[in-house]
Amino acid sequence: MSGGLSGRAAIAGIGATEFSKESGRSELRLAAEAVLAALDDAGLSPADVDGLVTFTQDANQEIAVAREIGAGDLSFFSRVEYGGGAACGTVAHAAMAVATGMARTVVCYRAFNERSGRRFGRPDAGLGGQPTSQGLEMSWHVPYGLATPAAWVAMFARRYLHVHGASSEDFGRVAVAMRRHAATNPAAWFHGRPITLEEHQASRWIAEPLRLLDCCQESDGAVALVVTSAERARDLRRSPALITAAAQGSAAGQMMMTSYYRDDLTGLPEMGVVGRRLWEASGLSPGDVQTAILYDHFTPFVLVQLEELGFCGRGEAPDLVRDGGIELGGRLPVNPHGGQLGEAYIHGMNGIAEAVRQIRGTSANQVGGVANVLVTAGTGVPTSGLVLSAG
Amino acid sequence: MTAGEPREGGLPGERELRELAAKQAALGEIRGTPAADPVNAPMIRHWLDAMGDENPVYLDEGLAPPAMAQVWTMPGVRRRAGDPSPVDDVLAALDAGGYTGVVATNCRQTYHRYARVGERLTPATRFTSLAGPKRTALGEGYFATWDVTWYAETGEAVAEMMFRVLKFRPPRNQEQPQTVEPYPLRPAVSPDTAFFWEGVRRGELRVQSCGDCGELRHPPGPMCPRCRSGNRSYAVASGEGVVHSYVVHHHPPVPGLRPPFAVALVELPEGVRIVGGVVDCPPGDVTVGMPVRVTFRRMDDELTLPLWKPKERR
Amino acid sequence: MTTAGEPARDEAEVGAELPALSIDLTPTVVISTALATMDFTPVHHDPALARAQGSKDVFLNILTTMGLVERYVTDWAGPGAVIRGIDVRLGVPAYAGDRLTFAGAVAARDAGEITVEVRGRVSLGDHATGTVTLSLPRRGEEGR
Repeated sequence: MSGGLSGRAAIAGIGATEFSKESGRSELRLAAEAVLAALDDAGLSPADVDGLVTFTQDANQEIAVAREIGAGDLSFFSRVEYGGGAACGTVAHAAMAVATGMARTVVCYRAFNERSGRRFGRPDAGLGGQPTSQGLEMSWHVPYGLATPAAWVAMFARRYLHVHGASSEDFGRVAVAMRRHAATNPAAWFHGRPITLEEHQASRWIAEPLRLLDCCQESDGAVALVVTSAERARDLRRSPALITAAAQGSAAGQMMMTSYYRDDLTGLPEMGVVGRRLWEASGLSPGDVQTAILYDHFTPFVLVQLEELGFCGRGEAPDLVRDGGIELGGRLPVNPHGGQLGEAYIHGMNGIAEAVRQIRGTSANQVGGVANVLVTAGTGVPTSGLVLSAG
Repeated sequence: MTAGEPREGGLPGERELRELAAKQAALGEIRGTPAADPVNAPMIRHWLDAMGDENPVYLDEGLAPPAMAQVWTMPGVRRRAGDPSPVDDVLAALDAGGYTGVVATNCRQTYHRYARVGERLTPATRFTSLAGPKRTALGEGYFATWDVTWYAETGEAVAEMMFRVLKFRPPRNQEQPQTVEPYPLRPAVSPDTAFFWEGVRRGELRVQSCGDCGELRHPPGPMCPRCRSGNRSYAVASGEGVVHSYVVHHHPPVPGLRPPFAVALVELPEGVRIVGGVVDCPPGDVTVGMPVRVTFRRMDDELTLPLWKPKERR
Repeated sequence: MTTAGEPARDEAEVGAELPALSIDLTPTVVISTALATMDFTPVHHDPALARAQGSKDVFLNILTTMGLVERYVTDWAGPGAVIRGIDVRLGVPAYAGDRLTFAGAVAARDAGEITVEVRGRVSLGDHATGTVTLSLPRRGEEGR
């Protein structure tokens, strides 16, 4: 393995609350519960925690979480920007802190009542209201009613359909695969509730060409991940998931969800940046991962990620998906837990936890012989990714 | 494109309005979409019934009441796509100029003959004149006049109409007869983007250009990303464009808008893209590659937005 | 003066008055005529929206005003009349709940063409004033 960070840190513990539509408790409490569960999973105590990382969008400050779990001194705290694009970035920051000695035990967390509290899927007229750089970016879109994540993604999706001659059914097959996986995952919101392609096609329009079943669910819940050195992780309760590669990525002309002014709208160049760095740092290639966790807030970007990360050529993802290629038993099982379409929408953090389970061999939908798992974070935004490996 | 120095805020003046009116008048007569239905007895019967008109001659002889001329080519509940009118831009510019009030003042119809059951009429609109500004009882305003002619399939003119409206500036201290609710989706404006919104108020679609290397850029910003110059200017775009991609929003509700509505990413011949709503067209009729033209719509007393409508067929 | 139902007024002299016609502008009249003229602008059928835009209530659309002016003149002139043109100056709105009363008189006669002056009033004042030009072909003549 090559790369300065490669193999030096590991995820040693994972924890989560239940995934629901109404948690009935505060976001801070969800955060504390998930962090405690992750520490317990790793066989560590709150007193061991000296670093905390979360998303800039998280409502729970690191110091508040530290107080609630009864942690002591912190020597590292950090937040990662850009919505769901932060997910793998939190682990990257934690790994850097561990590798450089800034901290010894860093917990990454994300907690929200996204369904019962503030829902990201609802338009917010105030999005374009402030003359910050992001407010100004939004001001070229929101006044025309382009005001929801589904609508922002739909603009890319329409172009993808046009350029590649794809159809709504190609998006639908992604949703069907995710719900098939969730159906056999007891932790998934849609456990026992698979869908058919016909049901996908019959679901109502949200933002054409996206239907209801192209959009991930909204969830309440929290996930936490304990990152420590690879060496120390080997001595802890669980077998470690080594961080073989971690990367963040943004590309020229980058915007939040609305990078419409680049020449080509059918790719995700920021994910291309992440992919190239992950393959380079890990020394691996797409054929070396046994399963991938691809961020699936909306189905079209799963197709684009398969292409952008090199699992297939441009415009070929519909073919890959058509024959069950991303389902369990297929060429590349994607999101065995059911993804955010099927398990829960915890801003990508539940996907990292699933990657760890796949490495450990403890997933409800375990893929055979897993050595390496690729994980991605939010799409359409500056993003991040990980390669986790057994070791 | 014409280059222009950013100007201080203000509204389209007399000269701009007169120039626009002359330009629209020079377009001549623009044909619209033929009537959805030929002249027919059920619509005549319905019309006579509603009017209380018992004249038997129409249904007996298969003739349309002449005052129905306009009825045959009314757009229906949802406006049909691309119905061309050289009038819209003038009215939009008057709106942008603060002449937001509107009252119809004259309607003169001339009937060359009665339309017959079975024939299908096609309207054609000609913008004829803009007069003003004049002081009126309602406030200062402009009289805009246009002609519509309805043609039979033979090319024969069946009926003509002269229509005139007064577009007036509602007096400030008075309660306005047509108070517009503030449009909730407002853009933030910074010193780097103000020129764009000023342009929109004047009926101009402005694209940032680098004062040094000439690079065009949208959305705009404080610097030229190509040559690093902070010397900014702008060009006025032709207003033409092609739909590069689009979205039809259905759910959830968006404040200030009624779904479904279409939002397009429009590619301008000048080489930049811009996002805007598509109007005067059912959302289901929008396609990638569709030619569109900018139209400036006043959303409330303060905000005008550049929106897109299907390009006129000529 | 004439009485309703009489045949065409090819002998009507300049100054001859048309019988008055009053129409109660019930919401049904306003809305049914708006729909019959294919005018779906909400101010002609949606009272809440009309009020929100500063109007007292729903009001007659212009296509209906033209239609009622035509009806007023042909009621008098009879089925033989051929309407050549209607030229109307539009005044105050004709709101639902009001009453629209037409008055008219022959203003000119010229080579078989008659010009009738028409005034339609509502409680707020003149709703429509103008002229209707018509001809009254003799029996057997094709005029329309």
